[in-house]
Amino acid sequence: MYGRFGAVLAVTVAAVGGATVPAGQAARTTQQTATPQQVTAPLSPRNASYAISARLDPASRTLTGDELLTWRNVSRIPATTLRFHLYYNAWRNTRSTWMRERLLSAGPEAGNRPEGDWSWIDVTSLRVIRAGGGPVDLTSKLRFISPDDGNPDDRTVLEAPLDASVAPGETINVQIAWSSRVPRTFSRTGTIGTYYFLAQWFPKIGVLEDSGWNCHQFHASTEFFADFGSYDVRLTVPRGWIVGATGLERGRRDEADGTTTHHYYQDDVHDFAWTTSPEYLERRARFEHPTLPPVDMRLLLQPEHEGQADRHFRATEAALKYYGEWFGAYAYGHITIVDPAWQSGAGGMEYPTLFTAGTRWLAPRSVTQPESVTIHEAGHQFWYGIVANNEFEHAWLDEGLNTFSTARTIEQVYQPNYYAKRYFGGFVPWVFRDVPISRATDGNRLSGYRAVAKSDDQSTPTWQYSTRTAGGITYNKTALWLHTLERMLGWETLQRIMSAYFSRWAFKHPKPEDFFAVANDVSGRDLTWFFDQVHRSSNVFDYGIELLRTEPVSGRGFFGDDSQRVFSTPRASGDAYRSVVVVRRFGEGIFPVDVRLVLENNEEIRWRWDGQARWKLFEVERPVRAAFAQVDPERVLLLDVNYTNNSATLKPQATRAARKWSLAWLIWLQDHLLTYGFFI
Amino acid sequence: MTPWSAFREGVRRVNAAPLLLAGMVAVTLLIALPLSLALRGMIASHLGGSLAADGVADGTSSDWWQEFAAQASGLGATFAPSIIGFGAVLDNVSGLLDNLPLAATITGATAAWMVVWSFLSGGVLDRLARARPTRAEGFFAASGVYFWRFLRLGAIAGFIYYLLFAYVHDVIFVDVYEPLTRNLTVERTAFAVRVACYLLFGSMLAAATLAFDYARIRIVVEDRRSALGGLMAGLRFARRHAGGTIGLYLLNAAAYVLVVLVYAAVAPGAPRSGLSVWLVLGIGQIYIVVRHYLKLLFYGSQTAYFQGAFAHAAYAAGPPIVWPDSPAAEAIGNADAAVRR
Repeated sequence: MYGRFGAVLAVTVAAVGGATVPAGQAARTTQQTATPQQVTAPLSPRNASYAISARLDPASRTLTGDELLTWRNVSRIPATTLRFHLYYNAWRNTRSTWMRERLLSAGPEAGNRPEGDWSWIDVTSLRVIRAGGGPVDLTSKLRFISPDDGNPDDRTVLEAPLDASVAPGETINVQIAWSSRVPRTFSRTGTIGTYYFLAQWFPKIGVLEDSGWNCHQFHASTEFFADFGSYDVRLTVPRGWIVGATGLERGRRDEADGTTTHHYYQDDVHDFAWTTSPEYLERRARFEHPTLPPVDMRLLLQPEHEGQADRHFRATEAALKYYGEWFGAYAYGHITIVDPAWQSGAGGMEYPTLFTAGTRWLAPRSVTQPESVTIHEAGHQFWYGIVANNEFEHAWLDEGLNTFSTARTIEQVYQPNYYAKRYFGGFVPWVFRDVPISRATDGNRLSGYRAVAKSDDQSTPTWQYSTRTAGGITYNKTALWLHTLERMLGWETLQRIMSAYFSRWAFKHPKPEDFFAVANDVSGRDLTWFFDQVHRSSNVFDYGIELLRTEPVSGRGFFGDDSQRVFSTPRASGDAYRSVVVVRRFGEGIFPVDVRLVLENNEEIRWRWDGQARWKLFEVERPVRAAFAQVDPERVLLLDVNYTNNSATLKPQATRAARKWSLAWLIWLQDHLLTYGFFI
Repeated sequence: MTPWSAFREGVRRVNAAPLLLAGMVAVTLLIALPLSLALRGMIASHLGGSLAADGVADGTSSDWWQEFAAQASGLGATFAPSIIGFGAVLDNVSGLLDNLPLAATITGATAAWMVVWSFLSGGVLDRLARARPTRAEGFFAASGVYFWRFLRLGAIAGFIYYLLFAYVHDVIFVDVYEPLTRNLTVERTAFAVRVACYLLFGSMLAAATLAFDYARIRIVVEDRRSALGGLMAGLRFARRHAGGTIGLYLLNAAAYVLVVLVYAAVAPGAPRSGLSVWLVLGIGQIYIVVRHYLKLLFYGSQTAYFQGAFAHAAYAAGPPIVWPDSPAAEAIGNADAAVRR
């Protein structure tokens, strides 16, 4: 693929007058950093492949480039237009859809950024080259469209009407020249100082589906969607600057003008991101496993985090190991971990074969930073990188699966870890070793979900989620219902479901129904009712014990018949007790639950309740009193937003607990008063 | 008198007034306790008859804590894991220096506590200035006499502190700190800048408290009627004895830092169950008592320093203040005098 791309690139770039190497200037290759080019069997359709040459000018913060896109129509409809994402235009001004949504969620001050922060991208030339034909210049016909909201000020989708349609199965080449200004970081792409992280940086074609173009405008609460392809990219940056990028570096050439061109290449990916900075420290390690393929890990680290290199590698290894064992092997053999510069805003983001982690100068070992974010973003290589769902529409499919998988991985490797709070402007961490973090609720982020539980049906397209609450539904709710599914079906079954989903949909674009179909198929159960509850509605789950009572069996009134009928006053023999449990469904969500009653002699009685009615009474007669009752005692339903009311005991300890904690809080308050006593 | 001598003299005077220390600890406790009881009710209500209470009573439960926080407001919203152990100290100092908003109920309690302390500080300073017991009637009489002067001084102090927190803090931490650090990519450099901002702001706060401390001392020791006059006199004194007053201030501050460091080292974590609960709470209360001691030490040492510089130890211009007798007692006393004549 590389040879063909290289040849086409040379011809087309020459045709439009561009060149990677300035005319008359000598260039020399100083380093070859990758093995010779290898031809690999395609893992993906590779229907959107790019050969890109780009030059970064830090002085003007501009990025200029040429790309040759080789695009094959894999849909069943002819393409009469081409659509491209121009993400950098999202931060052109406050009228873009991204900024409008951002201002809605973050307030008007979010738009109050200085002139130097903003960005744009201009396509200066676009030509279509068909087999056997000359280039057709469509530059003058380009137009911005806003398929999602009709916003006339949004310029994040560019449409090029074709002179002749592209038939299903047909391949065309599109040669595009562009220039852009790199923003002060928005949405994890941009620059600060001499640190650059460049993502969503080139004109990128949308996905043509049977229903037409799937090429959304850029939204504040969504990420991306693209077809797989091969990326052959040459990046020219100031000499001495370290570059990290999707793929492997195949060569490096010092230019006569004091720059260096880095050549990166990667097959079977759907995006390409890169970073450069003169400050990076570079570290390397190798992941090895008895049954999984080895992975070369390259870490680009901030100097002030030098002591944390091992933590980054160990976390990445944990993701490669557990995701690999549970779901399927990592497919690429190499991965680049980027530790972003402080305040770069580029941390915690995934790109194919490269991701940004994120740590702090003061990072206690008993707290999983940078481990959580490293595992999460490394995990995205599986959920997003390989199984490439549409993040504009179904972000929960990768973010939710990955949040669940991250929490599960952390549970395997990093126990215990603790709650920590940062003080003094967020610089100074303090670890509360009395407050351990649990996978079920902290890892799956129950508190975040609880706050926004009703905000959107999860089945709503992600770009239409409320921007204020999208994260809670996308990440947290999915992780919680997957963990619920794990507790319901057992890990062995859920693991088979997820690995089957992974293998069936690797290098493809699955939709929610595809995941549900795999779940039904592998589990052998119709789980539609479950997905109706957790995915297709915004119902909140809250089961609770409304009443627990135990009393001697007695009766008052008339007993007996006819002449034997007598009025009897209450009497209690003391040898039988009636225990009553009333369980209530406080929320709208419906889920079958167990009800457990434990008696004073530790005898346990269990009932299964379908959870449909608003309430249900359970009753037993035994020689001993009841001790306590629980609904959903194993906490299968992790989406239950109020678990405290799931139990009731006849010997409550609330007073003791409240006394203890109110006295502990008293010390805080006394110290608070004395702190303000400074002023008198 | 050197700052060190004044500091030692302050220690001697505070040591000699254990009832004063006990009284001030009691005042803080009495103001804080009702809120603690209110919180106790909230926690008990939320836990209800749940089994979750067992876990919360015997340890911590992050899960329950988050659930409680989700429904809590006002006072309840301040009940977070950061109240545990030394976290409480960090929470309060950091909150003050970062000018974080307080819950309304906490603001109210703080204001009430400051008013009560303002009332009592007249008696406290009078007691420490005289360096001899003034008895309850003398203490409260002095508190009453100086209260209105201190209230007027407090109004000026309140205005100054308002300016410091509402405007100067913003200037330092928004107008200066943010542009200085906006393009920094090295966190520890930004932290150094922030520490410098804390030092600058802290110095301003310290300068203001220094002036108001000596204003209060001059009002008491010199029996000054004018709060403004007292403030001016306090400023003059602090300026003319800058080395001594600042040195003494730093000694007191060092004592505070030392206490905080010791508490950081020994502060227990969350109370669990049984005897350990009372041990944890007991250590916390010892820390609170020591904090009160330090507050009195500030008063005592600064008063001693002022007296050493301007008058002599234990000098107070006004006569011992006694509560006026009732008219009947006065008539009996006059009758006795007439008989003797």
